[in-house]
Amino acid sequence: MNILIAIGGKEYSKPTLDLGMKISNAFEATTTIAYVGKKISQFSEKDVSVVHQNLDDRELYRPGVRTLEWAYDFLQSKNYIEQQDNNITFNDHLLIDEENSRMRVLLKGNHSNKIDLILRTGEIIDQLRSEVEANNHDITIIGGGGNKGMHHKLVQFIDSSVMVVKNYSVNKKYKILLPVNNSLGSNKAIEIAQQFAKSKKLSVEIITVLENKPSDERLKNILAKTKKRFTNAGIRNTATVLEGNPIETVVKYAKDDSLVMLGVSPKNPILKYFFGSKPISIAQQCNCPVLIAK
Amino acid sequence: MLSFPDLLNKFGPMNESYKIISSSMLYWFSQKKWFVFSVLLAIFLLNLSTPIGLTVAGYHSLIILLMVFTLVTFEPIPFPAIALLTLVLQVLLGVAPPDVVAASFMNDAVLFVMGSLMFAIAIVHQGLDIRLAKVIIKMFGRNKRLFLAGLMTVSAILSSFLGEHTIIAIMLPIGLSVIKNVDTTQTDGKNAVLLTLFSVAYGTIIGSIGTPSGGARNVIMINYLQEFSNINIDYWEWMRHAYPILIVQLIVAYFVLQFAFPTTLKNIQIQGYKKKVAASNTKNNINHLFSSLIILFIVTSWFLFNEEFGLGIIALCGALIFMICGMVSWEVINKNTNWGVILLFAATISLGFQINDTGASSWMVEKFNGMLALMPESSLNLSWSFMAILTGLTANFFTSSATISLLGPMAIELQPSDISFALSAAIASGFSFLTVISSPTAMIIYSTGLVSTRTFFKVGLLMFTSSIAILYLMSKFYWVTL
Repeated sequence: MNILIAIGGKEYSKPTLDLGMKISNAFEATTTIAYVGKKISQFSEKDVSVVHQNLDDRELYRPGVRTLEWAYDFLQSKNYIEQQDNNITFNDHLLIDEENSRMRVLLKGNHSNKIDLILRTGEIIDQLRSEVEANNHDITIIGGGGNKGMHHKLVQFIDSSVMVVKNYSVNKKYKILLPVNNSLGSNKAIEIAQQFAKSKKLSVEIITVLENKPSDERLKNILAKTKKRFTNAGIRNTATVLEGNPIETVVKYAKDDSLVMLGVSPKNPILKYFFGSKPISIAQQCNCPVLIAK
Repeated sequence: MLSFPDLLNKFGPMNESYKIISSSMLYWFSQKKWFVFSVLLAIFLLNLSTPIGLTVAGYHSLIILLMVFTLVTFEPIPFPAIALLTLVLQVLLGVAPPDVVAASFMNDAVLFVMGSLMFAIAIVHQGLDIRLAKVIIKMFGRNKRLFLAGLMTVSAILSSFLGEHTIIAIMLPIGLSVIKNVDTTQTDGKNAVLLTLFSVAYGTIIGSIGTPSGGARNVIMINYLQEFSNINIDYWEWMRHAYPILIVQLIVAYFVLQFAFPTTLKNIQIQGYKKKVAASNTKNNINHLFSSLIILFIVTSWFLFNEEFGLGIIALCGALIFMICGMVSWEVINKNTNWGVILLFAATISLGFQINDTGASSWMVEKFNGMLALMPESSLNLSWSFMAILTGLTANFFTSSATISLLGPMAIELQPSDISFALSAAIASGFSFLTVISSPTAMIIYSTGLVSTRTFFKVGLLMFTSSIAILYLMSKFYWVTL
């Protein structure tokens, strides 16, 4: 499994990085940590590139490298990176220009080859989409800052599951909130939730929301099957049938200590673009991390 | 009755390939919406009747102008594509025949853009920042505030001759070196960082108005004046008009920055940097000596032979000498030169010529003067103010050279026999203090991640307003004495 963690400023990225690495560890995944630098106008892109090369020559960090250095130190402090040689520090790095607007930080010495540090420049959606396309990432994890439209576009245009990390506290004990239905995305969310819960020993609250049809046996069956699946896997769980508007109900049910994991909407992409979807609205309105599985 | 979403959902479950195609199309649309908008706008305008007093070719040239403004501002397609579209549309919409469009595509101003960009790459490649750092520390290193003032002054003087994109690339590493270890979590440290970066940036931006070779916009305006009004402005005459403005602006900028970023500068490390650059290397010394001689030769040639050979040819000579001497390779120049910008300038200058030749600029000026006639104030002052503020503001959202290549003909048309309008427009378009997209300097400073767009605008507003006032006073009271 490949996981992409997009980080921004140091002060806001700690929760994203921490939760991202927990998920990555749970799946024993290869992880890419990407910093996307500011978009440069076409008028100035070559001038900026020349200046950045100059900064490299003078051993002055180009923009973004300091954030990656901070991320590297954070991963080390939390033992997410296994480093054989303690004398190697981030200062011993090389920037490898791999393609247009993508640079890889190559650390000298022996490091875990499961973590890549990447520097990209440009419009964030465009860059993350390119990164996911080029490296087949399964989950993209991004902080909850920025505007709601950006999260909508991420879910819409990025070909991987998307997790928006909002209001996450490193020291808090979380529970997974898993709204289920009969969509393919929901099946994927169940798989992710099961593996993550098992690895991190988290309890799971499985819910299904009946909208208009209180006697929808199909959804009740899915709920029962999912509960059985988690019980068999030795994961503590509860299963609840709720009624009402799915968005309002899930948002109301989710607490500050919830990690919401749900499937992507099977709706027409054109409709989703102009009118949004239930999972997107839930991700925008919940005040906790939300993963939309694809 | 079914709503639109319900109607679409009635088509039943979607298969995977349809989802992929519609997703890709949506993504294309979301990325190219401004291109679609500009095309639809152009089609709409083409279907309206031509305004009275304007030729069909002139009307079409203005529609292309509007398209170019939209496309360059929002960048939905690459610059070379915008350039090619501009050329193709001029022929397809009957603005000018193919031969005329081709002929207007290349002139001395375009050669200057090409030459100065290549020359800049060659200069930056020589690593002159270390040499310059030594000089600046020796001259101004006694005191930290004096050092920053020196950094700003040297940036301005060099940028006035060699262009801002060259000098910011050389001066920024010096600025960043002295603030390398400043703690930006404290206000004092943060202000010290901003003061240093803005000193380099403002020095570079202000300097670019000083001589014709300071910026492509200056050369474009000189070219237009020659073509449209038969007025020749040489290197020295431009300097006589612009340099005093540069000096006053530098003094104002120094105080504006001290006011905007109060700091003790205690963490700035000049002595540490002095030790770092002190090491001498014979090979580098020889290289720097040769580079300085070539630069001196080119700047002197601009002074002495600009009328005879043109500024563009001389700039190309600079790049040529560096390449012949083996001091920079073609690969380095080819990799780092922004060919898209050269194509775009060539295309916009070509459009500028057609806007003038089709009478579109005269028509616009006529309409503009008609509006001014309704005002009680002296129309000359009003039209000057409007023109200077408009070009200054447009340049901040559209970049200065492109602004002058498109609005230059109209600025000249306002007062064809008076160079003060044309010069003011070119100089005002260099006041790129408001937005980070306005000039390479602003974008480079922004790209360090240490300066926010908001800070740039807040300080820039003060600087922009005072610069317009300085320009007005100078044109009113100083230029008339020349």
